[in-house]
Amino acid sequence: MNPALWISKTGLDAQTKDIAVISNNLANASTVGFKKSRAVFEDLLYQTINQPGGRSAQDTEMPSGLMLGAGTKVVATQKIHSQGDMLTTDNSLDLMIQGEGFFEIQMPDGTSAYSRNGQFTMDEEGNVVTPGAGYLLQPQITVPQDALNIIVSQDGEVSVRLQGQAENAVIGQINTVNFINPTGLQPVGQNLYIETAVSGAPQEGVPGLEGYGMLVQGALETSNVNTTEELVNLIESQRVYEMNSKVISAVDQMLSYINQQL
Amino acid sequence: MDKMLYIAMSGAKQNMLALSVNANNLANAKTTGFKADLAQARAMQAFGEGMPTRVFAMTERSSQNFDSGALLTTGRDLDIAIDGEGWFAVQAKDGTEAYTREGHLQVTESGALETSSGDLVLGEDGPLSLPLPVSNIQIARDGTIMVQLEGAPVNAQEEIGRIKFVNPDVRTMMKGNDGLFHSKNGVAQDADINVRVNSGALESSNVNTVNEMTDMIALQRQFEMQLKLMKTAEEIDASSSALLRAF
Repeated sequence: MNPALWISKTGLDAQTKDIAVISNNLANASTVGFKKSRAVFEDLLYQTINQPGGRSAQDTEMPSGLMLGAGTKVVATQKIHSQGDMLTTDNSLDLMIQGEGFFEIQMPDGTSAYSRNGQFTMDEEGNVVTPGAGYLLQPQITVPQDALNIIVSQDGEVSVRLQGQAENAVIGQINTVNFINPTGLQPVGQNLYIETAVSGAPQEGVPGLEGYGMLVQGALETSNVNTTEELVNLIESQRVYEMNSKVISAVDQMLSYINQQL
Repeated sequence: MDKMLYIAMSGAKQNMLALSVNANNLANAKTTGFKADLAQARAMQAFGEGMPTRVFAMTERSSQNFDSGALLTTGRDLDIAIDGEGWFAVQAKDGTEAYTREGHLQVTESGALETSSGDLVLGEDGPLSLPLPVSNIQIARDGTIMVQLEGAPVNAQEEIGRIKFVNPDVRTMMKGNDGLFHSKNGVAQDADINVRVNSGALESSNVNTVNEMTDMIALQRQFEMQLKLMKTAEEIDASSSALLRAF
């Protein structure tokens, strides 16, 4: 059948995927700690129909050949780990990482996942956990029952004011984790990422020191989705989709014209 | 049988091939750094014994449109877009040096700098690789890569190397089957120090969609004309055999 049909089909496929990525970004425009994705397109291989330099007559060569491209594809969806804006909440368990780093979260199966979402809460034993699923923050922090307030310093030291005591008591230290290539992390939902071979191994460090972002208490990091940018992308993808479907209908008309005329 | 039928048939076939070039351009209307292919038809004589009475059409992809695409600002440190003319060098899958304008770079876990299709980015002396771990990567206007090692103070920027840029005459370049550009004679191009890049931006595809749509309509109509000629050939044939039956 005509190659143009299949070439345009790859265009339609790729634009559909792009629109799926855009709609996921827009759906998460107000998810705390969310990082936007983008689809990366690439052209497919080219097929040589006529080789340039081939003979056109006994002593002449063709100056240019005919290579037909096979269309396009989405090679990757890439997370853009740029910093989101700061949202001040004054809630003592809301933490934001200003700069690079992830919170380490312990999954129920004992493995680690990583998150930028600092909306923490406490479980019934006073452990600091994630708000949705209640996974433990690592290193584990347990807030005593008679604590009046919780103070998290920029370098992650957690202290509490206990009833009847003048001095604050240090109850733990929140360390953050950096990755060489955060783009290589695999998003698994619930604002969590897991380590992969390309992300590199997690490197734990003290916030605020040696390239680790510092912690800000009472603030959250908003999603880094730029809604205007997404809408412009949406317009572009939709129009490119329409043009590719136009090619399909043109080829269809040509083929139907053959059937009618001959 | 009349030769006219075969000439019209070959025309229709070549129109279909040209339409494929068209469809590929439209499919890549959102591929970063893509250069639109130009299709043209050429008269190709039928060689052989006797008089060259017939001339067929032959579609060929003569070259690409080398205009710059629009600049998309992304704000990502490892996105680069070449300002004006020029290319940056990568190592193609077959080990040869190839050129592209698709500046969507990434760092592998071993520190190598590569494009989104996995081709290593070449510096002036071979593939570029970064010492790990780094906390900050900056690509300067002239392609110099500066990194700040993790734990190093902000003023301790380390220079890693310079991306190899070339700016040859585009007539010496051709698009290979991998979508990258290669030198026609296979010899690596000399570096050009005057090429400038913008970091935090990408170059969009330079496909002019209106142009492609118009070309598509033109090809479709031309195709219909070829079929009309084939139909005419059939009618002429039918009437000549009717003429023979009349006697």
